Parts: sequence; C-alpha cells; structure tokens
Amino acid sequence: MGVVRGCEIPEDLLYDVDNNIWARVEDDGTVTVGLTSYACALAGQIVSYTPKKVGKKVKKGKSCATVESGKWVGPAKSPVGGEVAAINDAVAANPGLINQDPYGEGWLVKIKPDDLDADKADLVTGQAALEAFEKKMEADGFGGC
Amino acid sequence: MTKWRLLDTGLLGATENIAYNQALLDAVREGQAGNTLRFLRFRPSALIGYHQSPRQELNLAYCEEHGIEVQRRITGGGAIYFDETQLGWELYTTKQAMGGADMGRLAERICNAAAEGIRKLGVEAYFRPRNDIEVGGRKISGTGGIMDGDAILYQGTLLLDFDVERMFRVLRIPAEKISDKNLKAARDRVVTLRELLGELPPLEEVKVAIAESFAEHFGMDLAPAPLNDWERARHREVVEEFSSPDWIHLNERPREEAPVLQGFHKGKGGLIRVSLWVDSARDHLKQIWITGDFFVTPKRAVLDLEAALKDTPLDQVPERIRAFFADSGAQWMMLGPDDFIQAIDSAVAAREAAV
Repeated sequence: MGVVRGCEIPEDLLYDVDNNIWARVEDDGTVTVGLTSYACALAGQIVSYTPKKVGKKVKKGKSCATVESGKWVGPAKSPVGGEVAAINDAVAANPGLINQDPYGEGWLVKIKPDDLDADKADLVTGQAALEAFEKKMEADGFGGC
Repeated sequence: MTKWRLLDTGLLGATENIAYNQALLDAVREGQAGNTLRFLRFRPSALIGYHQSPRQELNLAYCEEHGIEVQRRITGGGAIYFDETQLGWELYTTKQAMGGADMGRLAERICNAAAEGIRKLGVEAYFRPRNDIEVGGRKISGTGGIMDGDAILYQGTLLLDFDVERMFRVLRIPAEKISDKNLKAARDRVVTLRELLGELPPLEEVKVAIAESFAEHFGMDLAPAPLNDWERARHREVVEEFSSPDWIHLNERPREEAPVLQGFHKGKGGLIRVSLWVDSARDHLKQIWITGDFFVTPKRAVLDLEAALKDTPLDQVPERIRAFFADSGAQWMMLGPDDFIQAIDSAVAAREAAV
C-alpha cells in the first residue's frame, strides 16, 4: 500500500490526481469510482451523497456524484466518460462509509465506459501517482492525513 | 493585495440569484472571471441545501399560498427562509487564492472574517463551529459552500431584521406544532441587527463593514465591476435549468423519513427535555432543541451544544456531547454528558418502539 503524507494511496488503482478521484477497472468492464483518502481528509466527515441516476450519461471530468461535508458541497468528477451502471446504496444509507473505507465499501459509482483506452491515458497509477499526490499536497499546503 | 471584483446584484428572486451562484462559480472554474465578492438580496424565498428534499424541509403549501419561491442552493447546509430583511454575501475564488484546501479550516477563516465585519457594526458576533455566526449564542448568520475543482463559492446570510413567525411557518424545525412556546423557543435561537442595535442600520453601512473586513483578512483590492458577457450568457442557461421541477425536486424524499422525536431524562440536576429532528433513512440527527429546568452558566452553553450536535450521525452523538463538555468550560450544576446522552437515547428509543 502506498502512503503519501499519511494518506493511503493504493498503487494498483488509477487516479485523476487533480480531481482527487480513484478508478478501478473491474472484470466486467465497468469502472468503479471513488474519493481518495486525501479528498476525505480535506473534506472531513461526509454527511450526504447524491449520485447521478443509473442509466445517466456522464462526460469525463463532469460530476458523477455529489457529496457534502460540514456544509461544503463537492462534486466528484468522473475519471471516464460513459453511463452510470451502479450507485452505492450502502453509502446512501451511511455516507460516513466514504470516510471509513474510501477504496472499499465507500465507492461512489460504477461507470460503463464509452472509450476506456482513451480516457485511461490521462490517469496515473503506481509510483507516478504517489509522486503526483505529493506534488498536489505540497501545492495545497496539506499537513497530512 | 489581490484584485477582487465587488459585485452587487441587488434584490432578485431565488432562481435568478441561485443561477448566479452557478454562473459565477463556472466563470471562475473556466478562467472567465477572477475573484469576486458579491452582495445579494432575495424576494421571499425558501432555499433548501443542495442535498435536501423540499417536501422534507419545507411547508410547501404555505410557500405556494404566500408566493414564497422555492429553490435549491448549489451549496450545502440546511434550509433557510430568505427575504428582503436579510443580506447575502458570497466569495467566488480559488483554493490557491485562499491558500489552502482544508475545507473546515477555510470555512472557519471566512466565517471569522464575516464575524469581524459584523462586529464593526457594534455587535459581538463570533464564528461558532461548525458554520454559524452567533451573538450571545443566538444565530445571526448561516453559511455554506461548494468546491468545484479549484473553484470555490462560499456564502452566508446576515439577519438585519426578521419575521421569526414566518420562518417558523415556512421551515420545519425541531417541534411538532406551532405554539407560543415553540415560537418563543425559535425566537430564542436567532437574533437580528435590529434587535441588537435598537434600530435597523443602513444597508450600505452593513455592506461596507463586511467588505472592509473581508478585504483586510484576505488582502483584497476591491473595485466595483459589472457582470461580464460570459457570465450573463451562462446565467441565462442556468436560469432555464434551475426553473425545472427536476432540479428543485432532485432529492425528493418522504416527509415521514424525517420525524421529530421527543425525549427526556430526569437527573440529579433537573429535567432535560430534548426535541430531535432526525433523518431516519440515514440515522442522522438534523437538529436538536434542548430545554428543561436545569442550571448552566453561561446559559448560552445550551445553544452552543445544540449547534455542536447539528448534522451529526446518531452513533457519533455521544462522543460529540462528551467532547463538548470537555471543551466548553461551562458550569453545569449536577449534570454531566451522560444526562444529555440518556435524554437523546430516550427520544430515539421512542422512535424504535413506534416502528
């Protein structure tokens, strides 16, 4: 498990570092999307979650779900373009799951991608992701998770 | 010093105003506009937070009957009643310009600056975690924000004068019915500049005080400037989108999912009554009123405790209460955190018994 300034950043995931989003390509071809532990640390306790509806088209870089913490609303930007294939009912019932398990049960949406290969080119993984997050945390003036 | 535009859009309806929120935030995100401090006012409106359900938060029949426009904010927080007697302020900027991405810290810095602006008018206003500005424990300003990529909108209200009874009829609050007692309870929890100063200060004076304070805190070089063409065009698009019932009722949920629960606990220090407004679907405490015949110095500690418990998952309520007691410095006569936890437990148990 990769760690940057105390924040877990699993090296096997894909990241849109600018938008603080992770993605994982599943065996069935869908892409699971979630907030990074760093995003959760910046946000604090998440109290609301509104995903886009299943079947809705989402463009890459546009909101696929919206969360709220401490009266801040934050749109989560989809790392791939496609159609919302699933939303997370467990998170709807308990939005705090996003903080507790951001890379597991706290996932936001699953997307059926239109052109995964093209969109993947903009995402980073492994050591490159760790370095990119270190740079982002430096720019954000972030002390640590 | 950083250049900031000072924008005053005057008195508008809710849809027009909220559409400016989106248009101006988009302009910052897309590099079409720089930093902006905006003042705004509303014709009578009921505004829910982004994630809220109108049916759950508002008395829609009353709104319709009295021509009160219902709209959804793009920012977080709870439902508010907003009319000509309140002033809105908003900052549009970037994380970089504000020097940090920690959302709690950022909200606190902005609220501290707003509170200091209100103090320039001669009232003792202070930030109260997590997002209120209060005077003597009574709320005078509520705030909320949205962070979209690097772009930020943070906004707040300021009560100049206020019709509490009307608010009471528009919004749901932690009480089951409208009675003199509950109306007094609602009145005890908010305060206005008119009440504190004995007269209504001129609106321009209030704007200048707030603008000066923001300018001092954030190194703003403020200069009045109008909307640009990009913002006007985007605003027209957003007005259309936000006029749709699909937008306003995005998160519609059954009213029964948000019941008001009553509980009490008789301890050595007296009787504690609690009225909880909860979101049953998410086991989440929305708001709480605490009353009773117990003694605490200062009295405002009760209102501060209520504020600390707002929007808290029910399973985190006991730890919040304990943390509040550890930090507050108030003197509670023969009362401890467990007395309040038991009162809340009794209200939650009543719900479970009813199910």
